[in-house]
Amino acid sequence: MMAEMTVEEMNQQFKTGTVFRAEEIPISCSPSAKDLEQTLHGVMKLNGLIIKSLEEIAGRGANAVTYRAGKKFGHEVAKYFRKIEDIEEALRELSYILHGQYTFELWKPEDKENYVVTENGETFIYLVFHDCIVRQTLRRNGMEQGGPLCQTLYGYVVGAIEEITGRRAKLEIVHTGPNACLKKLILK
Amino acid sequence: MIEISVDAAACNGCGLCVKDCPMQVYELRDEVSVPIRPENCMGCLSCHEICPAQALEHRGVYPSKRNYIDIRVCEMINRVI
Repeated sequence: MMAEMTVEEMNQQFKTGTVFRAEEIPISCSPSAKDLEQTLHGVMKLNGLIIKSLEEIAGRGANAVTYRAGKKFGHEVAKYFRKIEDIEEALRELSYILHGQYTFELWKPEDKENYVVTENGETFIYLVFHDCIVRQTLRRNGMEQGGPLCQTLYGYVVGAIEEITGRRAKLEIVHTGPNACLKKLILK
Repeated sequence: MIEISVDAAACNGCGLCVKDCPMQVYELRDEVSVPIRPENCMGCLSCHEICPAQALEHRGVYPSKRNYIDIRVCEMINRVI
């Protein structure tokens, strides 16, 4: 146990005598979930605190910063995807590729025939986000959903959609929940 | 499809689920919440979390990843419960 170790014993565990040459640096990493847990929670904590501090200092400007960051991330990730004009297909592919970070499904209420809905001169698609690293970070830190960190996801999807389809879009947070969130992707 | 059941004996008719659901899945009838449009439920479990009487049960929901939990803490709790 760590608590029973002396400082010298603790320091000793970092001295393995292994020699690394550049070409021998391992290119794969597969630690178990238990080994990753503390790292992941540390990143979540840090991310949560950055956002909290940003909100305290920048106020409403925090949303613009996080949106911009998410949008850049979305463009960056999606630039390697094949370009697709069909928005439904693009969203399905995006959900497949983002599996592990975000998973979402195209969603429609029972009374609607198609996923793409045009109402009051607005064309939109409902998206239900199931797995989301943002939601998990917020819940880890006891923070409210729908704030600046959610804006990164907003920017992310908009950036990715713009990159894949070449169409401009806007994402609206309709509802947030502990297990899934409903977003409205408005197409321009 | 998601199946929702409400424990009518436990429900206190506060209407929080009715107000919270963006898809109008619930309706209050005789001061008891009734899932009138379960087919529109997207499984956000928001109603489940806010129900003060814990009267709701959802079946067939996709459980999203919960990497924010502490595995060791959950293991300890499981031993106690």
